Parts: sequence; C-alpha cells; structure tokens
Amino acid sequence: MPKLTIDGREVEVAPGTTLIEAARRLAIHIPHYCYHRGLSIAGNCRMCLVEVEGVPKMMIACHTQAADGMVVHTDNDKCREYRAAILEFILVNHPLDCPVCDQAGECKLQNYYMEHGTAGSRVDEDKVKKRAKAKQIGPNIMLDSERCILCSRCVRFTDEITHTHELGITERADHSEITLAPGAWLDNRYAGCVVDLCPVGALTDRDFRFKCRVWYLTAVDSICTGCARGCNITIHVNRDRPHKAGGTRVMRYKPRENPAVNQWWMCDAGRYSYKQIDHERVDSAAVDGRPVAVEQALDASAAALKRAAAAVAVLCATTATNEELFLARALFAGALGGHAAYLAPPQGEQDDLLLLADQSPNTRGAQEILGTEVRDPVGWVKAHGVKAVVVVGEADLTGLKAEVDHLTVIATHPGKAAAQAHVLLPGSVHAEVEGTFTNHAGRVQRLRVAVPPIRGAVETWRLLLELAGRLGHPFDFAFEDDIFAALASQLAPFAGLSHDNLGRRGALLGSGAPQPTEVV
Amino acid sequence: MSVDPHANVELPAALAAKEVEITTFPEELKAECDAIRGRYETPRAALMPILWAFQRRFGYVSQEMERVIAAELEIPVIWVRETVTFYTMYNQRPVGSHHVQVCGNLSCSLCGAKETLAMISEELGIGVGETTADGRFTLSVVQCLAACEEAPVMQVNDRYYGRLDRARVREIFGGMG
Amino acid sequence: MSAPKLLSANFGSEVSFHLDHYLERGGYEQARRVLAEMAPEAVIDQVKQAKLRGCGGAGFPTGMKWSFIPKGGAKPVYLAVNADEGEPGTFKDKYLLTYEPHMLLEGMLICAKAVGCHKAYIYVRGEFDLPIARMEGAVAEAYDRGYLGPDVMGSGFAFDVVVHRGGGAYICGEETALLESLEGKPGHPRLKPPFPALVGLNGCPTVINNVETLALVPHLLRLGAGAFLDLGVPTQGGTKLYCVSGQVNRPGIFEASPSVTLRQLIDDYAGGVRGGAKLKAVIPGGLSAPVLKPDELDTEASFEGLKQVGSMLGSAGLIVMDESVCMVEAMRTITQFYAHESCGQCTPCREGTGWLRRIVERILAGHGRAEDTDNLDSIARKITGTTICPLGDAAAWPVMGFVEKFRDEFEYYCRTGHSRVSGARVAG
Repeated sequence: MPKLTIDGREVEVAPGTTLIEAARRLAIHIPHYCYHRGLSIAGNCRMCLVEVEGVPKMMIACHTQAADGMVVHTDNDKCREYRAAILEFILVNHPLDCPVCDQAGECKLQNYYMEHGTAGSRVDEDKVKKRAKAKQIGPNIMLDSERCILCSRCVRFTDEITHTHELGITERADHSEITLAPGAWLDNRYAGCVVDLCPVGALTDRDFRFKCRVWYLTAVDSICTGCARGCNITIHVNRDRPHKAGGTRVMRYKPRENPAVNQWWMCDAGRYSYKQIDHERVDSAAVDGRPVAVEQALDASAAALKRAAAAVAVLCATTATNEELFLARALFAGALGGHAAYLAPPQGEQDDLLLLADQSPNTRGAQEILGTEVRDPVGWVKAHGVKAVVVVGEADLTGLKAEVDHLTVIATHPGKAAAQAHVLLPGSVHAEVEGTFTNHAGRVQRLRVAVPPIRGAVETWRLLLELAGRLGHPFDFAFEDDIFAALASQLAPFAGLSHDNLGRRGALLGSGAPQPTEVV
Repeated sequence: MSVDPHANVELPAALAAKEVEITTFPEELKAECDAIRGRYETPRAALMPILWAFQRRFGYVSQEMERVIAAELEIPVIWVRETVTFYTMYNQRPVGSHHVQVCGNLSCSLCGAKETLAMISEELGIGVGETTADGRFTLSVVQCLAACEEAPVMQVNDRYYGRLDRARVREIFGGMG
Repeated sequence: MSAPKLLSANFGSEVSFHLDHYLERGGYEQARRVLAEMAPEAVIDQVKQAKLRGCGGAGFPTGMKWSFIPKGGAKPVYLAVNADEGEPGTFKDKYLLTYEPHMLLEGMLICAKAVGCHKAYIYVRGEFDLPIARMEGAVAEAYDRGYLGPDVMGSGFAFDVVVHRGGGAYICGEETALLESLEGKPGHPRLKPPFPALVGLNGCPTVINNVETLALVPHLLRLGAGAFLDLGVPTQGGTKLYCVSGQVNRPGIFEASPSVTLRQLIDDYAGGVRGGAKLKAVIPGGLSAPVLKPDELDTEASFEGLKQVGSMLGSAGLIVMDESVCMVEAMRTITQFYAHESCGQCTPCREGTGWLRRIVERILAGHGRAEDTDNLDSIARKITGTTICPLGDAAAWPVMGFVEKFRDEFEYYCRTGHSRVSGARVAG
C-alpha cells in the first residue's frame, strides 16, 4: 500500500490509485474538467496539473498513480500559476457570454476562473469560429461548440456507457469540434446525462434552458420514482422565484452519485418524470364525485370503514413510501383486524444499464412490509370477503366498486383508481414527504421534502393517521421518522436503520446499521 | 490542407460533375477491401487503407461513402467521420484532376515559395483553394512535403516536382492532360 | 569527414531497391545469421554496446528500447516502423525507403528476432507515393523469395510486414499517435504510462523504430558493435544521415559521423551559404529544434553535442538562414505549422499553438504591441511540459529560441510595424 504526502498530509492508498483520488480521500479537491470517475481517463484538459517533488514536469493528477514516499503539492504557487495558465488557454477560444449562457452559476469554467484565474486576460485575438452554434442534436440536447472545451466527457459517455457512439470529435487543432455522427440524433435512453457531464455550457438541456437561473434553485436529495432501481437524484426546486417559471415548483431532476445504485447516471424517462409532480394533480377531496373538504371526506371514509368492521382492507400501490405502507399495515391488518396487501407493479422495458422492468420505486418495500401481492383486486376482495377498501395510489380497479360497499382512494393524479372512488382523498407524491423507498436490491433510501404538498393535497401518511384516529386507533407518530422507527423496531430486515443513519446513500435491508458514509 | 473543410462555398460546376452517388458498397472495391481487412487485426484498423481505396476510385470520400464503409466494417459511422476529418489528405469533396499542392513551410519559403505560389496561381488563373473552370486544376498550400532539398516544391496528385521556376512549371502543367 | 557510406552509397540508384541488387551487396546475410544462430539477448547486447540511438528525433538508445519488450508473454509483439517523416527540414527516410527498402526489411527482421515479433507495420507518410511503391515492391519481392512469410530463409521464423499509408498528419510521427493511426483512429497521442513496449498496438507490446535506425542495424551486426561505435562518437555509434536545406549552395542529404560539426555540414557538405551571403541562423534538428546563431556552429552534430548548446539533433534536418531573413516572418511559418498540426486533444497545445500564430500574424500585420514579445515567450513556456505529447514542446521551443536569440527583431517589429531586415525575403 503506497503511502504518500499530499499538501503536507499523509495518506495510504491502494496500489494504482491516482493522485486525484488519493487527494479526494483527504477531502482535497483538485480542479479538473475531463476527469470523471465514471469514465475512462482522457487526461486532455490539463487542469489537474500538480507538482510532484523530484519530478521536473508538472503531472496530471487524474492519471499519475500514487507511489510510496511521493510528496505532492496541489495548491502551491507553482500549481496556481499553471492552473491560471490552463484557464487562460481555455479562454483563448471560449466566448465570454456568461450573461446569456444557461450554464452560468454551475459552470466549472466560470467557477474555477473566479478561484484560480488571472484577473485580466492577455487574449486579444479573434476566436475560432465553430460550426455548431446553438444547434439541436437530440430531442432534449442543444450543442454550442464555441463554448466547448473539448474535454470529451460526452463522447466517452456515448462510447463507454451507452455504447451508442452518436458523438465524436472531428477535425483537429483548434478547429476540433464535437460532432454528431452523420444521420444520427442524440436520443439514446440516457442522453440527458451528457448535459450533467458537460462542465461548461456547450451541452444544455432543452427542457431546462432559459427557464430559471440556477442560483435561484434549491437542491434536495431524493429518489427517482421511474423504476425499481431507485436512482439517487437531487430535485431542483424554484423556491425563490416561482414567478420566473409560471409557478412551476420543480424545475428538474439531476442524478446524484451512488456507486451502489446508479453510479452517476439516470435515464431520460426518469429525468423528465419530474413533470408529473405538478401536472394535473388531485387537489381536492371528493365524495361520490362531489368536491368536499378533506375533513368531510375523511369522516365519510371512516364511517364506511367502521360499518365494514373487520371486513376491511388496504391495497397499496408500490409507489407508496415504506412509512405509508407501514401505517397502512398497522391500521388495517393490525388495529382493525382486516387485510393489507400491495398491488402488482406495472412492468415496462428494461435495459442492461439502469432501467428495470418494474416501474415502481418501492416494490421491494411493499414485499417486505405487506408481503401479499395482488394481481386481481376484484378476485382478492371476493376471496377475503372484504366489504370496504382503501386504495393508496394508482391502480386499475375496474369492477371493484361493484364488489364492495365502499371504496376510498388516496390519489395524487386523476386516473383509473380515482375515477372509481366513493371517497377520494388528495394525497402526496414522493417529493412532498420525508420517507424512504426500498429499491429492487433491498437498499433503503431516503426521500426529503422538496416541496410541500400541492395546494389542496395532504401528506398521504397524515391522511392515514387521520383515518386511524377517526377509527378509534390513534397512532402516536408526530413525523415520518417516528413511523420509520416503529417500522424498524417491528420488521426484522429494517432493524437498526433510522432516517438519520441511512445517510445520503441508503443502507441495505438486514445490514443492521449502514456503512459509513463515503467522502463526497 | 487539401480542401478547407470549413469552406462552405458552393462546389464549382466542374467539380460538382465529379460527384458520385454511392448507396451501397461498390462491388469493384469488395475484393480489395477484403484483402485489406486480412492484413489488419481489427476492422477499424482497415479504415485508412479502405478510405484510400475509395479516394483512388472516386477522387474523394463523401459522407455517403463514409456510411457505406462504416456499415461494411460494422463500426460506428462517427469513427469514420473522425478519421476522414482528422487527416488532411482525404478529400471530402471532389478536387481538380490535377491537385497542385505547393509547400509553404520554412525551407521552401527560404527558397522563394511565396513567389512560386504567386507564379503558379498566375499561371493557373486561380487562387488558393480554387479550381479552374474546366475542373482540371485545384490549387492548395500544404505543409512540409519532406523534399526540402529540392525547394521550392509542389506535389501534383502523387508526384513531387522540385526546383520550381516559371519555365519548369509551364513545362509540367503543359504536359498534363 | 571520411565516414563510410553505410546507408547512402546507393541513393539515386536506379537498381538498388531490387532484391537482387541488395543480395549482391551481401544483403540479408546478417538477418540470416541472426535467425540461424543468434540468441535474442545477444542481438540486443550488440545493439546496446554499439550505442545505436533512435534516429527519429529523441535519440533514445535502441538496445534499451528493445530490451523493454517482455519476454515470453502471451500477447503478440508488434514492430511499428516510423516512416511518417514529417518534421520540416527532414527528408532522409524518404531516401532509404526509395533506394534501400531491403536494408530496412533486413533491419526489421533482426529486430523482430531480438524482440520475438512476427508482425510489423511500416507507417509511411501519405504523400510518399514513390517511396510507398518502392517499399511495397520490396515487400512483395521478399515474400516471393522467402525473405518474409511463414518461414523466413528456412529458419522457421515467421515474419509478416504490412505497408501502411498515412493520411496527412504530422502528429502521427509521435509514436503513440502512430499506433492510434494504425488502429484506424485519429492520431491522438496516448497518455503514458503505459508505454508502447508494454501496451502498444492493439494493446500488445510494441517496438516503434525509425527507418534510419533499423537500416543501420544490419551494418551494426556486420561491422560488430565495437567497429560500429568507432564510426560515431562515444555516446552514439554509427554514421548519421543529415538533411541540409534552406539557403545553402548544395542542399541535400549527407551521411557523416556524428562527430561532424554543424559548420562542416553547412560549409563542406552543403557548399556554404548560397551566394556567399552571411549566415544568420541555423535550425539544427528539424523545425522543432531551438535555433542557433553562427557562433554556435562549431558544435558536434550529435545528440549529446547539440544538447550542450541548448538545442537538439532531433531528426538531423538543418535549415540554414542567411542575413536576408526576417526572423519574425520565419516565425510565422513555424507557428502556422504547429497550429495546423496540433492534434487538438489537450488544452495547452490546441489553444496555445493557435494563439501564438495569431499573435505573430498580428505583429506582421503591423499591429504589434510592446508586450507581444514577452507574451510569445511566456505563452510558449506554459505549453512546454504541460501537454500529453512532445508536440507542445516542439511548438514552443522554436518560439522561445527565436525570442531569446532575436528579441531585438521582434521588439522592432512590434514597435514600428515593419521588419528590421531590409528586403526580407521569407514570407509565410
């Protein structure tokens, strides 16, 4: 195990570790553009030049391997001098159009220049004209070659991750340019990731560009609901300037690194699923199709459930959080002596990168918490002699209403379930609650509140708590983490886990306590 | 550089007439292509000699040809595009029957390359990057041809001509079809 | 002065490139001996003792390079011959390919035996139509007559050779760019390590040698290491091909001992400065080599000799400039070349070469500024040592050399908007 010294601090690393990674272990950030841990090493930007004592040349930290006894400086005068020089070279042909560039605020060129650049530029020559200026290269992607610093991350992504080869670098010298293959269109399932990878404003997302300046956004950790993978994301919320985006609250999803789940990526289907959050929500309660106050609807639902006594059941879609599932189980199977089961999740396409056929974020959680999967709700209700049902989430309930005396649906969007309901309650989506999902591999991962429930809606867990109270079985839970604590104490696979100790990367069922959080 | 890839000028009629439409891999190049592939370890490695074969046959490599070659080698078409545009000798559009390439590097410059280029331009009646109306001559400036001992030098298609002066240039061009 | 002509005796011949002519001169005898009776280690040992150094430009000891190839590995070993002669001012390999293709093949065979290689590619620059035709002809002849193929000269040793035509890119003379090109890709140099001796063509161990280097190998074995070393200087065995061009009376290719001085090459071999004009500057080792002034020419034209005067032997291409030359004009040609030939992969070279070119062009357009001279130097300095491959250094060194040695000319041009050299003749 080589032991080396970086900026005066010793660190021992595995053989083959690069200097940039060894420095990361010490929480030392070495500026870089082309380096990305999910891609092969290109070593082309030269931004990560560091000084290694005894080596006359500056060395790139992304490719130089740590050796025993190495003494490395990442931030001395020489490093800063070279960093400034590289930035100056990059700006030789980079337009100074930050005020009209959508990347401003999250641009690594802008950020590094503020930190490491020279005050004034010596560059006073005409810039090379590139061909692609604000050119659409895919359904969601715009390319501006003049801003491109040719780090080749996007090319490596399409070569190494998606193997779709839409992008390349053509020509040479300072006429080199990112180019779309003749006849190609950047529309692979993960195309949006090239925008995340682009350190500058060369690749931007048509869905997001010019909608909102990034400094008005608040980033909240969450989990994508597109499939059972449970890709880690941040939800970017426009809290400060809602008027800037026509009242839209959630502006975009960005993938968040989790080596155990999605590495650095997410699929476009998941990426753009944020649009569902504010789209055509169920924003009021209803009884037999008539809008009523939520309290009235809860009263009506509770009355019907009481009449059915123990012939009650809850059917949860696999979009419900673990906390919601646990409450449903505790109330219906526990306190009321009825039944609790989950609805078979819808299936879609899958691939060999991230996308799974199971299109629900919490099927595994439902398996653990509710156990019983229901494919035929009508048959199941008949078989168990159920008279009153609460459905949490969306499902095809055709024919169910005729089989039971009462059907309450807690819904977020108008759909097949909501259309059937005697009592409709406006529930919450994942972005509106604290909670957890358990992904296909049994990793329990946290959701954080990105936005409050949309006007008119109530957190689903609160609706379940309210029902419990009205049914004479109040639970002593103030917040979602209390519910999770009860869940963890009652269900062995969750033992030892808590909202607090799941961290940013979640923990596996049965792991007892999560692994220590890695340095980010 | 043979033909400036950024020159978006319309192709002169004489050159447009040399454009060929290729939609499938040409039968007449199949045997040569197979032989080339036999000499290399990977399909991609056979790309440059196959591009040369196309250029010998058609005078240039069009984007349609790039697609046909990529399909034949079962490699992404962007790989072909990258290689065609990186190297200067692959013509991306037709050029004159006689591609006059005058060296402009240091040793030739020291021996009067600038004057030689002006003289050739005058003799042909075209500027750099242009083609004569009859499609016979295209004039380009290129980097060192490794014939500095004969400076000033030009290459016309595959052949080198050194120690250029007006009389010699006239003799050379006069002898061309 | 009286070095034997190992390589150049038949330059200009109408027949020397034929196999029979080569055989009449004792051709392939060394390869036959090596294949029949010499152990690989013994060959490498001879090459090391003879102090044969790579003639492509870097002067790396050839025997050491061969010894880096792992022995008995599972992967095939390749030999890539660098015939991408592109360094301006250099034209020696063209002569070897044209007039002595079998000498190269024999050197390749010996190398192949020494490193356990059975397949070689000769990467020839695309413009070399005649040299390629000659080389291909020689390869075909050698296959026909059993000097190449599955059983070379009945030794049981298999050796295949493919002649590969480049596409027009100076950078492919850089050895890892050459490998990328051989794999059908743009010539983007690779990050090192790993070095080609371990991970080269198709991920396999690969030796990359210049044409001249390999052509010397049969002579080295014929003469023996000691005699070969005696032809040169203590740090560099054998003879050397020198290319002299520019403003001299007899530009051309000359074979000499590396003990020869630059002044001897210019005055005695190339007939002195053209028209008896006064010498102003000499670029001694191809365009990349830092320029020298007339008082620095009594320097031994060896790898070590030129290092001592802050320049390099490089590809041994001497470009001679007389007093009529405007160094700012000359600089334009040089900066244009590197700005055109940068592969574009890494930032300092891609952006820096074009930046240098534009500054020089602006000075020549009469819009120079007082700080331009210093800026040229400092920009060049930030390109050196920061790039993936040596092209960055190659582009920067001439600029640094010109500014250092002819600063007054640059400053004058910046100040006045015109050349200090009246009637300057070089233009880009």
